Amino acid sequence: MNPLRRLVLALATAVSFAGALPANAAGVSADEIVVGTVSDLSGPIAMLGVPVRDGMLMRFDEANAGGGVHGRRIRLVVEDAGYDPKRAVLAARKLVQHDQAFAFLANMGTPVVMASMPIVVDAGRLHLFPFSPHRATYEPLHPLKFQNFAPYQDYMEAATRHMVRERGYQRSCLLYQDDDYGLEVMKGVERALSGLGRELIERTSYKRGATDLSSQIARLRAARCDLVVLATVVRETVAAMSEARKIGWNVDMLVTASGYSAQTHELGGAAVEGLYGVSVLPHPYADGANSQLAAWIERYRARFNAEPNVWSVMGYTLADLFVRTAEATGRELTPERFAYALERMEFSRDYFGSPSYRFRPDDHLGNRQGRLAQIRNGRWELVTDYLE
Amino acid sequence: MLAFVQVLTSGIAIGCVYGLVALSFVLIYKATETVSFMQGDLLMLGAFAALGLHAWAGWPLAAAAVAAVMAVALLGAALERVALRRALGRPHLVAVLLSFGLGMMMRGGVASVPAAAQDMHRLPFAADTIALGPLVLATSHLWVVAATLLLAALLAVFFRYTRTGLALRACSEDARSAALMGVPVARMHTLAWTLGAALAAIAGLLLAPVTFVHLNMGLIALKAFPAAVLGGLTSLPGALVAGIFLGVAEALAGLVLPEGAKDVVPYLLLMLALLLFPHGLGGSRGTRGRA
Repeated sequence: MNPLRRLVLALATAVSFAGALPANAAGVSADEIVVGTVSDLSGPIAMLGVPVRDGMLMRFDEANAGGGVHGRRIRLVVEDAGYDPKRAVLAARKLVQHDQAFAFLANMGTPVVMASMPIVVDAGRLHLFPFSPHRATYEPLHPLKFQNFAPYQDYMEAATRHMVRERGYQRSCLLYQDDDYGLEVMKGVERALSGLGRELIERTSYKRGATDLSSQIARLRAARCDLVVLATVVRETVAAMSEARKIGWNVDMLVTASGYSAQTHELGGAAVEGLYGVSVLPHPYADGANSQLAAWIERYRARFNAEPNVWSVMGYTLADLFVRTAEATGRELTPERFAYALERMEFSRDYFGSPSYRFRPDDHLGNRQGRLAQIRNGRWELVTDYLE
Repeated sequence: MLAFVQVLTSGIAIGCVYGLVALSFVLIYKATETVSFMQGDLLMLGAFAALGLHAWAGWPLAAAAVAAVMAVALLGAALERVALRRALGRPHLVAVLLSFGLGMMMRGGVASVPAAAQDMHRLPFAADTIALGPLVLATSHLWVVAATLLLAALLAVFFRYTRTGLALRACSEDARSAALMGVPVARMHTLAWTLGAALAAIAGLLLAPVTFVHLNMGLIALKAFPAAVLGGLTSLPGALVAGIFLGVAEALAGLVLPEGAKDVVPYLLLMLALLLFPHGLGGSRGTRGRA
């Protein structure tokens, strides 16, 4: 029998055999659960996508090594959409139809999530914890949609309120990226300030990919700001701090969770000392880690030959939430039963220093709290607990 | 006033980078009538090559920088020999798409190295500042300006006084006549792509301390291309001046004009300049008798 024939025969056998089995939830077989993720491994946020994927792989491998979840191994199928909504649609269809993914975990990037989410939930699959700070990922309430990260504006409202109230800033200003992300942060900052009876004194923007921020910083300085909120990503965060320090302006700056990255102090060096940032999960520094965290860092290094970062922790944490919920669901695993279990789950704080996550039947957003950190001696130090 | 001068110096420095990349566009366009859409990717590749040689292979920075520029120049020559040469005499779109595709392959190649795709890196030079009275200059900006001046001078000497430079000029003025006069046109095309690639790589090295080395640093070509057009697409001094002009206009508009206006200014100026000077600031006025 030639190989092609053998393949056709094998496929035919497999199909008829599958038809004879009792109806099961898509992606759940007697010994396997398929989890899909539409990530970015090659596009503009590949620096997030790769460690998130590795973190998830690590947690699922651990679950499988421990005998799986109720005897089923978890198989993660990763598709790279490169932050492109067109590729995201293809990837989601492939994962739904071909791989029969039971759930989608940690899809990456707002354009990707907005394009692929309808395909996922229309097929009746769970859409869990996407990396998109967009309300549509959990509101209005949908039985299959769950989210773990609040919109930027919620974190920034709390952080700005805390900073202004505790440290008495009189003239708060904003430097923002001129897109949805920046505008979202602006709303949060404005809401915090108006709650305290203040106004945003000056705001100035830059386009994505801007090379130089000297005019923006000069403008903010001319407005005599004493707090500059940064709706920037890593590179612009460093550029803004460097430019201010270069011209001898020692103003306090507060960056969103997008700037809370070890890269910020690795690239910025002395110029970013004293920068405040919002942390949703702490960066896993090996130096000074508790014993559990140190062991985790060792395992991560050994597995991937790379240093873990805050994104690795997020990937690991999201996979952990999945595994624990699947365990709580029981042997009979369907999207409905999984969602029912998740709506009643409570995840307490762990050795990473995470916040607690809690879902409700009427609230599918697991956490709304960030905490403040500051760069001191070349590393992020946490300076407050999670802010209400 | 101080803020004004401070911002002006930054604008000049960034404008010089625009100008250098614009120069590379113009060099290639003049000689081969091809708009190269891979200059941004060559720039990125140059910076990564230097980073790779310095940080991972342990070469001294200066040697790594020189080797990186030479490697990218060689790559430019090789691409011309292997691929771009075949687009000559075909519709313009062929060469444009070809260079675009080659650029994507370079990006793909760099992105396949995990450390390169995932992180930003810094080339360890020019991180400090120099104070001139109350005025503070970043050494990275001074480097950019100095290197640009030096390169402009070298190119001027090359095109005016060397045989090869003259031949290249002759070739870009009128390829057919140049060929009849015994200029090896094909070799001149290779040279133009080589020089264009080297210029892009140098711009990448100069940009490295300002924006760090990362996969998307080549996006600056999107600003440099308008500069090349503004300069007339055929004038080397025009491209350089237009680059600096755009950099300064952009920086000062951000300081002086109401919020939101600054992003429109460079393009508004570009449209205005094209309306008033259809051949660009440095372009000749329709006297170019190309066959």
